Amino acid sequence: MERRCRVSGTLNLLIGLAMGLNLLALASSRLPTLIGAVAVQGVVLGVMPLLMEHQFDWIVALVALGTMAVKGFVIPGLLRRAMRTASVDREVEPSIGFVASLLLGSGGTIAAVALSRALPLLPEHAGSLLVPGSIASVLTGFVLLIGRSKAISQVCGYLVLENGIYLFGLLLIHATPLLVEAGILLDVTVGIFVTGIIVDRIQRAFDSLDTRKLNVLRE
Amino acid sequence: MTPGPLLLLAATTLVAGIVIGPRARSAWLANTLAGALALVAAAILILLGGPVWEWRSVFLIGGEPLHFRLDSLSALFLALVGVVGGASTAYAHEYWSDRDRPHSAPQGRRWSSAMLLSMVTLLLSANGLHFFIAWELFALSAYFLITLDRGRREVRAAGWLYLAASHAGTVCLFAFFAALASRTGSWELGPMREHAELAPLFWLALAGFGLKAGMFPLHIWLPSAHANAPSHVSALMSGVAIKMGIYGLVRFSGWLPVSAAAGWTVAGIGAVTALLGIAFAFAQNDFKRLLAYCSVENIGIILVGLGFALVAESQGASLSVWGRLALAGALLHVWNHGLFKSLLFFGAGSVLHTTGTREMSRLGGLWRAMPWTAGLFALGALAISGLPPLNGFVSEWLVYLGLLDAVTNHGSAAWAAMPAIIVLGTTGALALASFVKAGSMIFLGSPRTKPARLAHECGPWMRAPMLALALGCVAIGLAPAIFWPTVARAVGVWQPAWTGIDAPAPLFALGWVQLSLAALACAAVAALWWQARANGLRRALTWDCGYAVPTAHMQYTAGSFAGIGAGWFAWILQPERRLHRPRGLFPTDAIRLERIPETVLERVIGPVASVIMRVSTAVRRLQHGHLHYYIAYLLMGLSALGTFVALGSKP
Repeated sequence: MERRCRVSGTLNLLIGLAMGLNLLALASSRLPTLIGAVAVQGVVLGVMPLLMEHQFDWIVALVALGTMAVKGFVIPGLLRRAMRTASVDREVEPSIGFVASLLLGSGGTIAAVALSRALPLLPEHAGSLLVPGSIASVLTGFVLLIGRSKAISQVCGYLVLENGIYLFGLLLIHATPLLVEAGILLDVTVGIFVTGIIVDRIQRAFDSLDTRKLNVLRE
Repeated sequence: MTPGPLLLLAATTLVAGIVIGPRARSAWLANTLAGALALVAAAILILLGGPVWEWRSVFLIGGEPLHFRLDSLSALFLALVGVVGGASTAYAHEYWSDRDRPHSAPQGRRWSSAMLLSMVTLLLSANGLHFFIAWELFALSAYFLITLDRGRREVRAAGWLYLAASHAGTVCLFAFFAALASRTGSWELGPMREHAELAPLFWLALAGFGLKAGMFPLHIWLPSAHANAPSHVSALMSGVAIKMGIYGLVRFSGWLPVSAAAGWTVAGIGAVTALLGIAFAFAQNDFKRLLAYCSVENIGIILVGLGFALVAESQGASLSVWGRLALAGALLHVWNHGLFKSLLFFGAGSVLHTTGTREMSRLGGLWRAMPWTAGLFALGALAISGLPPLNGFVSEWLVYLGLLDAVTNHGSAAWAAMPAIIVLGTTGALALASFVKAGSMIFLGSPRTKPARLAHECGPWMRAPMLALALGCVAIGLAPAIFWPTVARAVGVWQPAWTGIDAPAPLFALGWVQLSLAALACAAVAALWWQARANGLRRALTWDCGYAVPTAHMQYTAGSFAGIGAGWFAWILQPERRLHRPRGLFPTDAIRLERIPETVLERVIGPVASVIMRVSTAVRRLQHGHLHYYIAYLLMGLSALGTFVALGSKP
């Protein structure tokens, strides 16, 4: 019982760290910082399944390692490469200002905590920050998607959004088969690949990565 | 002999017509005429009392086996398709010839074969799916025929309006057939009066078929389509195509259980359609548009007959004799209107062919140059105005007879029949006025413009179909008792309790009266002719109103002729006037323009459509191509749903 409380405390600490990284992602004005924040968040999230387990489990360890590798190193590496090869400006170019984004993000975090109190959760999840952390990450992902115009920062928004969903999925870690976890990871990776290709194409076609310019493509 | 081989022959010739139509002109004509004759012969075999012809095949179309059936009711319409289709084929040979229209004439031949074929399939289909497919093909081929002359902007506009309106009707029919098939569990069509739960479906059929028939206020497509189509197509549209709507209504009101309310509605719509149709017709200045609105009026008369038959049926089929008279009148009017309206459109076509204008006020005095056209148009006008001794009188008289019987029976129908008689009477008077206007503007007086002065008579290929149709009008008018059994059989198919009824006694008397009237009229004409020849002709000016040098422009115009009558209906016609009076001692100019708008289209549907367009344009701004905002919409939608759930979950 005591160990469980301690583990739960560590877990909450990590989730709090992830929520802080959310705010950092919202506040960063340069792309490398943004990518870095997302990468660190990925690693932090990857550690969590190990902490939630009482005894060592191969499958969970595999999931954790895979998550850490893909989210913490592979995807950020791909993004940095895309940034280099497409020679993108390092500026983020927000359409929602940093202060406003931060206000929205922190407001969202508070709202998420308030909302999770209202949700009918299982007693063992009631004390943890898993649910508010997941909702806050999803909201942050949305704010990034809406408020940032560069394709790469959009990808970061999707990643934060996906991290939120992953956090929610941790509630069900025993119920979800390995295959599903692996499938989600694969989806995200393929998504990033495709976006990487698209980023290159956008850059060539429009001489810019500003997704706002894509509206000339509407019918 | 069964009609099977004849129908096979007709189908073969029509399919061959689609293939050879564009290239072989004379072969196509002979081929299509043979097909039309075969159709008429097959219909006559059934109408003379032959057994119902049925043909089933294991061959599937759309997953349903082919099933054709020809009974007296469909044979009645099939005969009309054959007669008017053949006449219009022959007429087009000269009217829309390859020499004048090198591009559109070959296409016209192909599409008219397709339209005849789809109408025949429609009439024969005993399977809902195939009926619907044939209906759609028929609507589409009619579109291509209407827009044969698509170089002109107004033709394209009329075609689009037709296509849009027609598909609005198709939507209703789609729902109708789908609901019918799902409730009965099969696409097979046939009598299903015992399924009381099918009664509400009739409303869908009424909207879908009524739109095609041109019932008010769904007639919006009809005037411009009829006026802008080539005249042989107008004749086919007005004589046959809109009757397919009537066929659908009669067919399915006979098969489905129909509530009394539907009967009253059909009768009421019919009365309104008849009165307003002829009011619009009276005010028109374009003679083809006048004829088109007149079709709306005649559809109204047919619907009044059908509506009262439905009322009679719902009050007990075996009791109400008057219902079968009203229905017989309506069905006979289908034939009659098909004959004289095609005749009139052919007459209008030959005027248009030689003068190139549809404005009555630009014509005049054409009877000297075109005696055949003038005479045949006058005969058609007499018939359509319901004057004895021609066929229009016979069918309208049967409808009147039914309504008067309803009045003397003192049922609840008496209270509706009385106003219906008054409305029909008014309609008849206005129809006469309209055709006096059309006939006198086009053919009497002196030519108002140069094209009218240079007019010439149409050739034999245009005259022969007109003569044939006129012969039909005279035959039904003089010998109504011969045609009674055919119509009575169709009535018997509609309501089996009404089979084998004898002709009403006055019908024979009417035949004799009509014959003697015709003989008297012929004698009077001969006597007058003799008198005129004996006295010698002396040509002089008519009353010249005291002007020293009267000109052709001092005649009545179409607008001034109809001025008073159109004034009574100004509330619905909503005429747009522009008046610039002559001023001062030496006035230099004066203008008086009057235009009759399409009231329903321009004052009701137009504004509603523009509001919808404005709202849609505003909504369309939401789709701007900015991905960020799309994600914002998603977020807003999600949070709205979340709020909804949160509010709803609270006890």
